[in-house]
Amino acid sequence: MKKLQNIAYKVLVVLLVGFVVTSCEDTLEDVRENPNNVTSIDDAPLFANAARSLFNGTLDEGSYRFAGQYGHYYVAGSTARQPDQYTDGFDGNYNGIYNGMYSGVIKHIEEVLVLTSEPETANPVRYAIADVVAAMGFARITDGFGEVPYTEGGKGKTEDILTPKYDTQEFIYNDLIDRLSQSINVLKTADPAMGYPDSDPVFDNDLDRWVRMANSMRLRLAMRMRFVNPTLSQQVVALCLSEPLMEDNAHNAYMIETEGQGNAWYGRRTGFPSIKMSTMFIGQLEGTADPRLSVFVEKDGNGNYTGQKNGLNDEAFGQSDFASKSDMGIPLSSKDSKIFLMTASEIYFLRAEIALIYDNNPTEANNLYRMGIEASLEQWDIDAAEITTFLASPTATLTGSVDEQEEQLGTQMWIALTPNYFEGWSHIRRTGYPVIEQRTDPDLEKGATNGILPTRFLYSSFEMSSNGTNASEAINRQGANKIDTPIWWDKN
Amino acid sequence: MNKLLLTLFAIIFSIASYSQKSVSGQILDQETKDPLPGVSVNVKGTEKGVPADFDGNYVISGIDENTILVFSFLGYKTQEILVGSQSIINVQLEIDAQSLDEVVITALDIERDKASLGYSVQQVEPEEFAVAQENNVMNSLQGKVSGLQITQGNTGVDGSSRILLRGVTTIDGSNRPLVVIDGIPVSNSSSGGNPNGGIDRGDALSDINPEDVASITVLKGAGAAAAYGSLGMHGVILVTTKSGTTQNGIGVTVNSSFNVTEIMLTPKLQNEYGMGAFGAFSPIGGDGRPNLDYPSSWSYGPKMEGQDYVNWLGNDDVFSPRDGNPYKEFYQTGYSFTNGVAFEGNTDESSFRVSITNQNTDGTIPNNTLDKNTINFRASSNLSDKLKIDGKVTYIKSKVKNRPELGEGAANTALQLALMPRDVRLEDAKNNIVDADGNEIKWNLDNTFNNPYWALKNVYNEDNRDRFQGAFSAKWDVSDNFYITGKTGLNYVVTDFTTHAAAGAQAQYNGLGGYSNSSSKSTSWNSDILGTYTKDFSGFNVTASVGANYRSDGGSSISVWGSDEKVPDFYRISNYAVVGDSDYEWEKIVYSFYGLGQVSYGGYVYLDATIRNDNSSALPADNDSYWYHSENLSFLFSKFFGIESDTFNKGKVRASYAKVGNDTSPYRTQSSYSIDQARTLDYTVASIPGSLPNPNLKPEVSHSWEVGTELGFFNNRIHLDFTYYETLTEDQIMAVPISGSSGFSSYTTNAGSIKNKGFETQLNLVPIQNDKFTWDMGLSITKSKSTVESIDESLESITLNSLMGVSIEARPGEEFGTIYGLDYLRDNFGTKLITDEGLAQPGERIKLGSINPDFYGGISNNFSFKNFSVRTLISYQSGGEFFSWGRGYRQMFGTDATSLEGRETGIIEEGINENTGFENTVPISPLLKNYTNNFVSNIRKDLIFDASNVKFKELVISYDIPKKALNSVGIQGATVSAVGRDLFFIYNPNGDLDPDASNGSSPTATALEHASLPSTRTYGINLRLNF
Repeated sequence: MKKLQNIAYKVLVVLLVGFVVTSCEDTLEDVRENPNNVTSIDDAPLFANAARSLFNGTLDEGSYRFAGQYGHYYVAGSTARQPDQYTDGFDGNYNGIYNGMYSGVIKHIEEVLVLTSEPETANPVRYAIADVVAAMGFARITDGFGEVPYTEGGKGKTEDILTPKYDTQEFIYNDLIDRLSQSINVLKTADPAMGYPDSDPVFDNDLDRWVRMANSMRLRLAMRMRFVNPTLSQQVVALCLSEPLMEDNAHNAYMIETEGQGNAWYGRRTGFPSIKMSTMFIGQLEGTADPRLSVFVEKDGNGNYTGQKNGLNDEAFGQSDFASKSDMGIPLSSKDSKIFLMTASEIYFLRAEIALIYDNNPTEANNLYRMGIEASLEQWDIDAAEITTFLASPTATLTGSVDEQEEQLGTQMWIALTPNYFEGWSHIRRTGYPVIEQRTDPDLEKGATNGILPTRFLYSSFEMSSNGTNASEAINRQGANKIDTPIWWDKN
Repeated sequence: MNKLLLTLFAIIFSIASYSQKSVSGQILDQETKDPLPGVSVNVKGTEKGVPADFDGNYVISGIDENTILVFSFLGYKTQEILVGSQSIINVQLEIDAQSLDEVVITALDIERDKASLGYSVQQVEPEEFAVAQENNVMNSLQGKVSGLQITQGNTGVDGSSRILLRGVTTIDGSNRPLVVIDGIPVSNSSSGGNPNGGIDRGDALSDINPEDVASITVLKGAGAAAAYGSLGMHGVILVTTKSGTTQNGIGVTVNSSFNVTEIMLTPKLQNEYGMGAFGAFSPIGGDGRPNLDYPSSWSYGPKMEGQDYVNWLGNDDVFSPRDGNPYKEFYQTGYSFTNGVAFEGNTDESSFRVSITNQNTDGTIPNNTLDKNTINFRASSNLSDKLKIDGKVTYIKSKVKNRPELGEGAANTALQLALMPRDVRLEDAKNNIVDADGNEIKWNLDNTFNNPYWALKNVYNEDNRDRFQGAFSAKWDVSDNFYITGKTGLNYVVTDFTTHAAAGAQAQYNGLGGYSNSSSKSTSWNSDILGTYTKDFSGFNVTASVGANYRSDGGSSISVWGSDEKVPDFYRISNYAVVGDSDYEWEKIVYSFYGLGQVSYGGYVYLDATIRNDNSSALPADNDSYWYHSENLSFLFSKFFGIESDTFNKGKVRASYAKVGNDTSPYRTQSSYSIDQARTLDYTVASIPGSLPNPNLKPEVSHSWEVGTELGFFNNRIHLDFTYYETLTEDQIMAVPISGSSGFSSYTTNAGSIKNKGFETQLNLVPIQNDKFTWDMGLSITKSKSTVESIDESLESITLNSLMGVSIEARPGEEFGTIYGLDYLRDNFGTKLITDEGLAQPGERIKLGSINPDFYGGISNNFSFKNFSVRTLISYQSGGEFFSWGRGYRQMFGTDATSLEGRETGIIEEGINENTGFENTVPISPLLKNYTNNFVSNIRKDLIFDASNVKFKELVISYDIPKKALNSVGIQGATVSAVGRDLFFIYNPNGDLDPDASNGSSPTATALEHASLPSTRTYGINLRLNF
């Protein structure tokens, strides 16, 4: 009996162990896959993500904390005010801006470019559209930092590159122009059915508008090179003028964010730290009776437009009654305010600049300048009578020397770029207009630049440690990792 | 090793040649009548002896009638019996009350003679935790177990505790020891907010009812824990619950505790200067109220001397110091009632215990409450001679309301009290929380802050947790020397967490009001089957076991959230205009095979070995199987050399080596895409997760060894336990942060190794022991140092945690948890360089300290006199630093007592002018200094504090009411105790800062102090009745 029991037991154990071993192996396989995500996907949802990131990127910390204040559009309160003092202790923000663009636009568009060029899923039309998005994303990164990883950037997954090498801004600009040119060529004659008929957050698959934006972007890049490589700049400009450009507010690239809390400026206007529009911005609009004043600026508690002066030191700021100054205008900063990537008015102003400088044609320049102003006023729904009045004012006509006209033009373009503050700052860096004087007043903080407008963001200490060799090479070529080291195209 | 075996064999054969007569018998525990395995049966005056087997049976041969047999077992009184004509000698051994807890529960719930273990274990008895009833029973272990470091967070009732055993060994992860309740490992992750906000939802350990615990054993090294696989990598805390087997017949125990919690320590605030900046009142704005922006709303205004002024509400008021400590005014005395009743019974074949405990706690923060009910049922039965079963069901229901918001969180009341201008009366803040439009009123414009009274009234959370634990085990004695145990246990937790905030305060949901609810379920199911064979031959006792384990962990959660309320005071998702939801599911399975073996000889040499193979679904299929092993040796040299006496009663050395593998969390090996939450878009958006997966992950490995000794003198009246250990953990799996230009934030890989070494000493003394009075004391000292040997090549350091420019880093060649931050700008001689304006400047980023103490431990003194006993515990820590941003912030806001310096005269920074080289003579306003140094320049040198401290941790006074007085009312026993916990700091170099203050329980949690809730102390009384 005992023996039988033992045998029975042994059989049981063998069976049990055998069962356990085999079933376990299967079970491990069953649970290995992540049930919360998918393992393969069409490129359209990734494209939509990248495109949306491009729009929301115009509202990032780079715009909010830095460009908006560097561009002298406004002064932010509390912790957000420090960049206005031209200091550079913003390691975390620099890292955030840098990572934000790569992990938002670049990572996703890189995947789309791979998916749309792989043999089984190739789609040259989608590739061309995606390449426009990639070009705009990279342009934004390089305009902020100078040299950045470009050929190897954003390829952590697609090519296993964890420490991408940097490219010069000159190389990046040249290559972006080529990529845009190729996309324009493809998209001009493409079949829209091959685009993103149901998932294009930018133009709802209107390929004509894509061509216009790609070409307008090419024009923007070409004009960025005006002072550093005028020859190439003019060549590219000529190409651009031969293709359709943004000519009407209907061509504008904008998005209304309906997810979450909507347009991020809403939270910033109503939240903390507060934002107060600058004396320089309000002064310009008020001094020219510009009807956009009431669009861009809110009245203060006493019913006036009062601006906050940029660059005050802490003691002067403490006395400045910051809290009672004018907020950002509600049309710019409501939940459903449009987020602009690029507008027709900017293109008119660039064309006016081309006419004035490259073509030496002041009449055409003035026409285009006025069209730029008109487009901007219309963009903000200013009523026709007010537009007529403003266009009749001296502000709306280019006069004086070329320099004076350039300043007039530069100032109007600065206003028209609102609320795309990052482009506003880039515009000032490129043209020197409107003039931001070096800070010498004792009430003003000189920061890390001796009072001169900062020209770039720093490579963060994290980037220096995680991709140090490549970043150091870039610094060797480009100049010290400082906020007043000019980037390649910045010659003013 | 070989030599030792040879010696052993030589001894065996020499014994064998003498045989004349043999005697057998069974050895039982005198009280419980349970068999005692492993008792040494020795022939007096010789080295000859055998151990008893698992059922307490022994056979000894080669003796004669004059032989005296010595039955000895650690923890029991030794008996000597003359053999005479007997051939069967059954023995009952009596527990030796003097001995110090020598039978311990070890891995897989095997009860072992502590002397036989080759690694360090420490068992804690119920009187150490059942009287001083902490909500989280682990807090009772602080200072009592060497090697164990426990810090209770300042995170409200039911907060989590930071638990480290022998320091930190892995860069990623909680580093917490595994907690095993009745053989079933329970999930034990750290929790908590961080300096930027959040709340602490507690840890699983507060769901252990101290009343139900029979003992807690701490298995310190990996050698002890190898039987639990990778889960036991950081050591194991074994909790055994009461099973009812110790009481004959039916017994009833009633236990009641009442505790009072009050504030022990608060930051010291200045009481001389009120709201304003640069010595002036804040200008009055258009609305008749002062300008409430920064810095006007800081406490750098004029001196409060009874002037007339317009206060923050816009009312005419007198500018004079407001009496009292705002913390003490705002917070309340907390109360806690715990009532429990337990029934237990025992028949010959079966026993049971059932208990029910209710705990009701009101925290020091108004509205912060805990209501917890625990029902525990445990029963065991000998179904036959061969089969014993044991089952347990525990159900715990807890509800915590208003877990406090921490750190920089808007609703953190401690933050607001710390920064509130010193002329603001709390009463005014309380009576003015909303204006006519329903908007929050406060004393500054900072929309990231709340009026604390508004927050109390309008910010709410409720955390419901239902925990079900069930375990079943069976032991089948297949034959005299072979048995099988099977065990399966389930731990199932359902949580439901709701938060909401009313509309009207910008800091909460942009003033729109909001709501969230998330419910989660998690299940872990652990099953073991283990066959054990034991055999004695020729003085050897051999035990060999093989087993298999199957463990599955999984869970799911569903969350909904909404903002922009439609109607006020109604908190359901339907009431919100903007809503979102998400769900998540995970599962991980590990199955294992293992073998355990033990060989002992003569009751003085014990060799243990473990081998185990784990197979984990969290690793890629090609690398999912990994092995580990451990070897432990215990040698009772005092017994071997026969030098035991009343003076030197025990001498043991031990050594242990273990290699342990570890897997990781699931889903780190495959790339995937997530579908974005989008409610309004007519197209689909997908994302690529920010962490790059790694299909080539391999298991991480730790190698550890330890040596130790246990020495007992004067019948253990002096007892020393010393261990030295080293652990090297390599190929650590972690998400290595990578350059953002890769498109990703981190890459999961095997990178980095940490070497952890240190020693632990536990010294127990019984200076006085007689019938009336006993005094015993214990002293523990632990020193643990973790050094980062390497990290991923591409990185200089890994930041483990950071706050306001201070980072806690893992840097190759340095201690794990080194604190980095900016020093002042200095010349080559270390003198500060001051600007023409008189300001100090930020300099190099340097090492400012370390989160790790140099050494720590506790000193306990227990006195018993007749029916009275007094237990005291002092815990201490020497060395280690922490960063207090709380201090830095209060200085900037001008509320901290240290911000008083230079209010009238200005402050002249020590140092030389950077341009002239002459001593700085330019005074600056304290506002500018504190704002610039602390906030703009991020100079951290002066905000790092020494964490050394000595704390009067526990005082328990108990009185056993004499039985004579009780018998007449049918009570068998009654004990009344008075308890005090966390009473005060005996030594605290920082005065008003608590070095233990933390916002959570991660390994680095204590290093970054910010706006901590006040530290508290607790007094209570406890009554225990046995019927």
